[in-house]
Amino acid sequence: MIAHALFFYFFSIIAILSAIMVIVSRNTVHAVFFLILDFISIASLFILIGAEFLGMMMIIVYVGAVAVLFLFVVMLLNVSEQKLSWFRGARKTKHIPIGLAVGAVILLELIVVVGGWKYRDTFSETKFLNFEKDFTNTHAIGNVMYTEYIHLFQISGLILLLSMIGAIVLTYRKREGVKRQNYFTQVSREREDSIKLVEVESGKGINLDD
Amino acid sequence: MINAIYFLIPEIFLSLSVFVFIIFGVFKKNSFDLIYKATIIIIPVVIFLILNNNFENIKIFNNSFALDEFSSFMKILILVSSFFVLIMSKKYIQDIKNNKFEYPVIMLIAILGMFFMVSSNDLILFYLGLELQSLSLYILASIDRDNLRSSEAGIKYFVLSALSSGLLLYGCSLLYGFTGSTNFQVISNNVGDINIGTIFAMIFILVGLAFKVSAVPFHMWTPDVYEGSPTSVTSFFAIVPKIAGIAVFIRFMYSPFQNILDQWQYILVFISIASMILGAVAAINQKNIKRLIAYSSISHMGYAIAGISTGTESGFKSTIIYILIYSAMNIGFFAFVFLMKRSGKYIEDINELSGISKNHPLAALSLLIVLFSLAGIPPLAGFFAKFYIFMSVIESGMYALAIIGLVTTVVSAFYYIRIVKVMYFDSPKKPFENFKNYGVYGSLIFSCIFLSSFFMYPSIFNGIISKINIF
Repeated sequence: MIAHALFFYFFSIIAILSAIMVIVSRNTVHAVFFLILDFISIASLFILIGAEFLGMMMIIVYVGAVAVLFLFVVMLLNVSEQKLSWFRGARKTKHIPIGLAVGAVILLELIVVVGGWKYRDTFSETKFLNFEKDFTNTHAIGNVMYTEYIHLFQISGLILLLSMIGAIVLTYRKREGVKRQNYFTQVSREREDSIKLVEVESGKGINLDD
Repeated sequence: MINAIYFLIPEIFLSLSVFVFIIFGVFKKNSFDLIYKATIIIIPVVIFLILNNNFENIKIFNNSFALDEFSSFMKILILVSSFFVLIMSKKYIQDIKNNKFEYPVIMLIAILGMFFMVSSNDLILFYLGLELQSLSLYILASIDRDNLRSSEAGIKYFVLSALSSGLLLYGCSLLYGFTGSTNFQVISNNVGDINIGTIFAMIFILVGLAFKVSAVPFHMWTPDVYEGSPTSVTSFFAIVPKIAGIAVFIRFMYSPFQNILDQWQYILVFISIASMILGAVAAINQKNIKRLIAYSSISHMGYAIAGISTGTESGFKSTIIYILIYSAMNIGFFAFVFLMKRSGKYIEDINELSGISKNHPLAALSLLIVLFSLAGIPPLAGFFAKFYIFMSVIESGMYALAIIGLVTTVVSAFYYIRIVKVMYFDSPKKPFENFKNYGVYGSLIFSCIFLSSFFMYPSIFNGIISKINIF
């Protein structure tokens, strides 16, 4: 009981603090660091209550996607002139210390969540959701996804299709004068269309314009 | 499961036709005309399929999808009004050179989303339907992407609507946390013992819903979005999503929240009074006809919500009649707006209408009928809409709401009748461009006949609506 409360407060305090830091920090890169920390803390909270599938999805989707977002931020903001100082630390940059601090907290969290795994049974007693113990999350979701929630699943698919159509409608422009690859003509080309065997008389050469 | 699919035939047919149109449009160049006509043909077919489903009040998919008279009536109303919007806006969308085949397809997807909203008996289904509908509306608002105003309208609507969706989702998650279910019936059983969490959730959900129907504290987006987006899209915005929004409003108030009537009643009364007053006052000084109709729709939503706020059965039935007549009036109004074309350009300024009665007596007469109906002048349908609302409001003893509603009706009559004055008594300008557009004429004639003959046969609709039961 106490162990559960301790772990819960540990992760939620880190989550709240890093969420505040995302808004407060003026540097975009730092904000992204704290965003990642926030996601990982919340994923740990999910794992604590036994929703391991949700926690893992959180890490894969959000942290994975945020890593891409991070790349975009670095590319879009003009940080090329800071490039060297990033690694050398010659100019005063706060990226490395803050990155290291965030990384240290993430490592600590990982140690805590892995180390706390042996108290898993005490967590299960205190949590309100009744999961079956010998029944993984993935299994449970798979049981209902295509049966009870099939209509919701299909509507989500429709929403994704619509967002695709919308992106194309609002941004696609046909440009003139662009040479496009035509698979059909490429594949249906025969040997005879492109190769001509010519008997060349010696000393006369060949006229290619024919 | 086979049974469930059988009941879903209208939705499945609609989504399959969306897929077919997309594939067809991608492979055939310049297929806007064909797909637009096919969309217009699809809609009566779906109406037929809905009417063909003869069931009595069932709930499928684990009680999450409600099929009853209420949802069928609302779906048919949505389809009929989108049918008129489609037939009257075809010429316009071609004139502004926006004939992309995706336009009718996205409208069909929006209609599909509204179907799910109207039928939802579950928070998840409701949210997904709402998202499907709003996502299509963002795209439609900015469909004229080379026009700065249209892009602005799209981005404005997107940002504000995403915020309100966030609030709505927060409310939904709180409601799930405090009642333990996403199903409306279970929520309504568990919501009885009032605690602060449920009320919190209810208020957040109300905020989201009020945004979607543009009721007053959350109305700021309406005039800008209506003015910025192309007129064809504005006509869709002003009619069809409002029907779905009001339907969802009724469903929420009468199904999951029916046991905490005394908690939400005063909020709805406030929303209703504020919408009526703001809609009446702010529209007075508008020069642009699309901004005017935006404020007018805000005040009309106020009257519709007044019916819901009674919490009685006659209250929501009068709201259904109100929204029916509201869509008929707006069809007529927008049909006239599509006629306002001078030397190749569509005009939106009210002063440009001066003296139109000399050049186009019939069109001016039909706009007169529509405007008098919007103002609520007796023999026309708009009067009956307001009459039923005030009847049920007075029946439940909310006299203050009724009096404020009557006063704002008089105030808003001013700006409707000002247009009539501009049309009939100001000096004539050049006539509108003459063009044969049977869709617009048909919608205008339909609307005028409906509005002016409603008083002879009000029992037809009252008979249909009195059968509706959502409890």
